[in-house]
Amino acid sequence: MEKSQILEKLAAVVIDGTEDEAKALAREVVTNKLDPLEAIEQGLSKGMTIIGNRFESGDAYLPELLMAAANFNAAMVVLKPVIDEQKKKVEKFGKVLIGTVKGDVHSIGKDIVASVLDTSGFDVVDMGVDNPSLSIIEEAEKIKADVIALSSVMTTTMPAQKEVIDTLKEMGIRQKYIVIIGGGPVNQEWADRIGADGYGKSAIAAVALAKDLMAKRK
Amino acid sequence: MTNFLDICERAITGPIMSEKDFDMKVFMPKLTELVRKYSIKYDRENPVPSDDQAVENLFQAAVEFLAAVGIYCQDTNRLIQFTKEEIFDGIAKAPGKCFMGEGKDAKVFGMRKPDDMKIPWLHVGSGIVSTTEEMITNKVEAYASIPEVDSISIPALDSIRGITVAAGSPVELYAAIRSVKIGRDALIRAGRPGLPICNLVSTAASAVTTIAASAPQFGLRPTDGWLCGTVAENKLEYGTMNKIAYLLNWGANVGAETAPILGGYCGGPAGTAIASTAYMMIGILALKGNYQLHFPVHFKYGCSTTRDVLWVVAASCQAASRNIPMPVIWLGYMAAGPNTKMYFYESAAWLLAATASGAPSVQTPHSAKAVLIDGFTPMECQFGVDMAKAAAKYDRKQANNLVKKLLEKYESQIDKAPSGDRYQDCYNLATGKPSEAYVRLVNEVKVELSGMGISFA
Repeated sequence: MEKSQILEKLAAVVIDGTEDEAKALAREVVTNKLDPLEAIEQGLSKGMTIIGNRFESGDAYLPELLMAAANFNAAMVVLKPVIDEQKKKVEKFGKVLIGTVKGDVHSIGKDIVASVLDTSGFDVVDMGVDNPSLSIIEEAEKIKADVIALSSVMTTTMPAQKEVIDTLKEMGIRQKYIVIIGGGPVNQEWADRIGADGYGKSAIAAVALAKDLMAKRK
Repeated sequence: MTNFLDICERAITGPIMSEKDFDMKVFMPKLTELVRKYSIKYDRENPVPSDDQAVENLFQAAVEFLAAVGIYCQDTNRLIQFTKEEIFDGIAKAPGKCFMGEGKDAKVFGMRKPDDMKIPWLHVGSGIVSTTEEMITNKVEAYASIPEVDSISIPALDSIRGITVAAGSPVELYAAIRSVKIGRDALIRAGRPGLPICNLVSTAASAVTTIAASAPQFGLRPTDGWLCGTVAENKLEYGTMNKIAYLLNWGANVGAETAPILGGYCGGPAGTAIASTAYMMIGILALKGNYQLHFPVHFKYGCSTTRDVLWVVAASCQAASRNIPMPVIWLGYMAAGPNTKMYFYESAAWLLAATASGAPSVQTPHSAKAVLIDGFTPMECQFGVDMAKAAAKYDRKQANNLVKKLLEKYESQIDKAPSGDRYQDCYNLATGKPSEAYVRLVNEVKVELSGMGISFA
């Protein structure tokens, strides 16, 4: 198979293939001695961008997005050891710690943002739901996060987003982190009021925001 | 029928799996498979369908879905499962009615069927749209003063004494108790002390707050109703189960609260309709609900008035009201807010879709996606009551034609819907009356709707 064909198929398998098919194609990349980084950038990531845009426009839904992410990661299982062996490195935009704040057990929106960040070139650590503010900060310190992404889906849990930011300030480490927020009742006005670095209206917007803020930091 | 201790036992003995595996390997693939197997198809040309065989297929798909998938307990990472026999047994033994309220406001909340001309149980107010201590009495008194109202939701308090209410904090507990007392007092002021409050406890995200604020000395009675919710999709956590255990031991009304998300794990409209129908059986079997609050919403837009969500509401409401004896309060989230014409177009469309499809009850459609503090007023409640009574005059085919006309008026604006005014912006705080401009706007909308063939007489 030609290189261009493999790259095209990699994009296609992310969109509507299976994990086994993604792994098989990734093995073809290795067998044909193609550059695995090129396979990611020109193949797998292209597929994720297409499905991400479809999701954003309402032409695809969460199952398609998550299946695409699973296919992407399945191919990475094959490609990553080769990249390591060649002493190359997958360039990452940064490390994101994401979680839903204390008192809030909603997860879908946060899961989507985590998934899209992951397949868009961020290292993502997902803390799940109902996280006390200090636990979030301790985890951010432990993993050396660049970005803290906080989700809140209820008006009564929005104050916990503020609490994380206030606690970071009290601890004198606010400037170490980019803090972005999201969730149904959250908006830019709230982000401004509590001193967040940004607000992502959707998963795609959150990724663009995180990339933009990381670029400015550098 | 399985009792609640059976559910508690299954939550600690059922098959164990990670939450991610439940979402990815159980919930989503089974839904996709059943959409195909039962040929469930979204009909964008007919947001209020009237094909009884298709609705029957939807019900059968929902039974098979629940039997195959079950419910995931987030605290134990185990599946609570039901056999088909248990599901049908639960349906057969469900009473299909709920006793609510006290004194002259004591009533039986029962069922309706598709094309039923009976006026649905009229539930007004909003719990999720939070408010301030200064506004709450005026609002609740105004909601309860609408004579046709059968039950009420009281708002959540946003703050007390200037302290922001945070979930799980002691301030939340203070606020929850205070909102219950103020709410009951406002009902007394309206001359309807026995009117059931069905969204308890609105100012309580945590189970401990709900249980504490429910102590009878604060004014609540078992004939009110408490909301005990699932987490989307098909998930339960111990906080909800603790509330249910408490309420069942008290003999109080449990309100199963469920909200499938179109575009989330359910995927598109067809999958969401199956999950939406299955939630009524979850309400009976797992949550032990005496009644249910159900509100499908769109993941991207956060509202219930997109064409595809209206179809989900209509299709799953028909499947449920034909087959599952659970008195359900159907609730819709509107994209636009108070004092905008768009809100009323959306509200009319949603109420027509739900009422003609056999909704046992409809709640005042929530304005501005329910995220604007004080973004909900008694005017929306009054319109909701008038519109629900009007909607009960139409069968599904008539409702479908009217909904299509209404969609033409607002569909293209959903993404940029105006959030509208807050209560204090369009009401006189001293008199509790709406501004002349707001009254004029609603009258204009009613004239427009009458011109479309909707009779308010």
